[in-house]
Amino acid sequence: MVSDGGPPDESSTRPADSPAQPTDPPVSPPDSSEPPIEHDTDQGEGELERTIGLVGGLAIGIGTMIGAGIFVFPGLAAENAGPAAALSFAIGAVVALLVALPTSELATAMPRSGGGYFFISRGLGTGPGAIVGLGLWLGLVFASAFYLVGLGSYAGQVFLEAGIALPISPAVPLGVAFGIGLTVLSLFGTENTASLQNGIVILLLVILSLFLSYGSLDALGVFGTESTPERFFPPGGMLPVLQTAALVFTSYLGFAQVATVAGDIKEPSRNLPLAMVGSVILVGVFYVVTIFVATSAFGSARLGEFGETAMVEVAREFVGFPGALAIVIAGLLATFSSANASILSASRAVFAVSRDDLIPERASKINLKYGTPHVALGLAGGPIVVLTATGQVELLAEVASFLHLVMYGLICVALIQLRREQPDWYTPTFRCPAGFAVAGVGAVASFALIAFMQPASIIIGAVVMAVSYGWYRYYATDVELKGDF
Amino acid sequence: MTPPHTLTTDGQPMTDGGREPDAGADRSGAETVSDRPTVLVPLEVLEGETLPVGIPDLLANANVVLLGYHVLPEQTATEQARDQFGEKAMKKLTVYADTLSNAGATTETRLVFTHDEQTTINRLIYEYECLAVLVPNSVEQLNSVLVAVRGTVGIGRNTRLVAGLFAGTDIDVTLYHILGDDEAEDHAESLLGAVRDDLVDRGMDPASIDTLIETPTEQTAIDAIAQHGETHDAVVMGETDPTVTTFVFGMPAEQVAERFLGPVLVVQRERPDADGDGGIAGDETGETSPAE
Repeated sequence: MVSDGGPPDESSTRPADSPAQPTDPPVSPPDSSEPPIEHDTDQGEGELERTIGLVGGLAIGIGTMIGAGIFVFPGLAAENAGPAAALSFAIGAVVALLVALPTSELATAMPRSGGGYFFISRGLGTGPGAIVGLGLWLGLVFASAFYLVGLGSYAGQVFLEAGIALPISPAVPLGVAFGIGLTVLSLFGTENTASLQNGIVILLLVILSLFLSYGSLDALGVFGTESTPERFFPPGGMLPVLQTAALVFTSYLGFAQVATVAGDIKEPSRNLPLAMVGSVILVGVFYVVTIFVATSAFGSARLGEFGETAMVEVAREFVGFPGALAIVIAGLLATFSSANASILSASRAVFAVSRDDLIPERASKINLKYGTPHVALGLAGGPIVVLTATGQVELLAEVASFLHLVMYGLICVALIQLRREQPDWYTPTFRCPAGFAVAGVGAVASFALIAFMQPASIIIGAVVMAVSYGWYRYYATDVELKGDF
Repeated sequence: MTPPHTLTTDGQPMTDGGREPDAGADRSGAETVSDRPTVLVPLEVLEGETLPVGIPDLLANANVVLLGYHVLPEQTATEQARDQFGEKAMKKLTVYADTLSNAGATTETRLVFTHDEQTTINRLIYEYECLAVLVPNSVEQLNSVLVAVRGTVGIGRNTRLVAGLFAGTDIDVTLYHILGDDEAEDHAESLLGAVRDDLVDRGMDPASIDTLIETPTEQTAIDAIAQHGETHDAVVMGETDPTVTTFVFGMPAEQVAERFLGPVLVVQRERPDADGDGGIAGDETGETSPAE
């Protein structure tokens, strides 16, 4: 049980200032000595325990991401870009990595809950902070709705596999039901979500590794005839590939979720960068291989017809019914954990902006009985359910990506700004290699990807940003967050 | 780990933890600060857990680390809870700390918002090198204490705690040992005799120390301790290695506390220096030093 081992030199520093004073006034906590870096300084109101290790951090990142890229997008992506959808996913991974490195640096300088919003509001000021903070909340709302539609599709697939015919497509109603269920569940305290999440992620990785290695070997002709690959690039050349990259970028939103729980991560200077970069690389590889396997099993057009649950048909093609069943189960778990993680992150985003008085303080009130922020969870869960009911998978995904990409671009700008200003409090323990270059390219790439989205997504995203800014001008002009640390 | 408080607080080198021959040879004024055993008292303040009746008396001679903690589900940011409840919880803790101080203890207060109670308690045991952790239950009258003695391993920590808390008081101590499978009775007697001598060396009145040896019966050691505890007012027992049963039924000390309903002092094993224990979640230690 002794998991949180005391650091070696702490035993020598700690007693030196504490038991020596017999009449130590009890109010003053013994933090006059250097407090351990992993616990926030106690300002007379208590300290915070960091409880998430590297494995937990990776599980958050992977668990949030893998649901979308493998279990929802392959059919849609292949329909748009053919086998070159693999390239779309690779482009997404590169953009995500370009942002993950600056995010890691900022997160080690500001290991606090709130993630990207916190970095941008402190680095660039309240205005951009408000756009990103409210945008992050809604971005996660859109993302959650997107995952829930995917979850509904897989739940519907269960009926299909069981041979139960339903009069209407069950995906959307089931997604809505799950959305309500998950919100209620999170309201009443689910204390073991993290360990559950770890288990789900490990199980998923095992199933996927087995399935993808078998599929790859088969596609390369080890078990029979090599499949004839169709033309790699779609008729439109690079344009559909980039458009698809913009669409599927939702599959890479999860690494920033690690930053939103930065306040809970042990040894943030080591674990934050490793968890963020590691999870992006890992899911990126899985995505690319998945597209390769899927497009060698079926033609792109056929995959497109299968829609959200295309991977089930791919598995059926390779291993028959057991394969299909395994992927249905994996898909349920993956989309479930993505949706759950996003709902919780959305509620943390609400907390972050409410703590800074960008929205009324009431929004972050915690229910003492259950220990959960009921208002924030409601502000996340309500709109999520409404959006899920629309069932617009691609639109939901793109708006989510839009709002996140704006944040990512601004994170890179914030890094450049902070490195140039060098404020006293900015002491990151991880430094992004080639910081200016990586952040510069990351910012340009993030904003550029937005240009390849559908006009409808761009319009909705822009409206959300404009409304967020308008809200800031109306409600919070007197809030000054830059450098408020 | 070096002896806990090797400080020279008042110019007098303390060698606590060792077998010092003259410790407490005269009881008057032998009670220097560094002799005080450090005891961790965890209270879930926001869940309405209060400082139970009798605890200030029990710990009057201790250096108390008063830990107020609040466990949050993982979906709630600890910061969020601190913003909202930090002040309130700290106020409550301050009142309890004052009560402890007034009874004679030295106190230190910590307030932690956590997702995992055990991580927090373990960290503080390390940080303060706590000799014991209290399972807080109330006690009306403090007259006699049952001390469960398992074997010689780490027994010095038990005696340090018991003598530190009860030497110079009119509290009686009963040393209790259950015979092992093929353990001879005279072996047990010499074990308890040695413990007794050590306690006397550390300043306890020989007349206040009783011994009790039992042969094992059907019931488990936990049941036996809990049962005997009923005729006493507090129990001192050792920490047990976490085993499968621990995970199912909770820590033995808590089981004892639940049945006997009085305060239980759980003597902690000596913690290895830094990363000796490896930990569970692959967390390496040594991370904090760069800052200092």
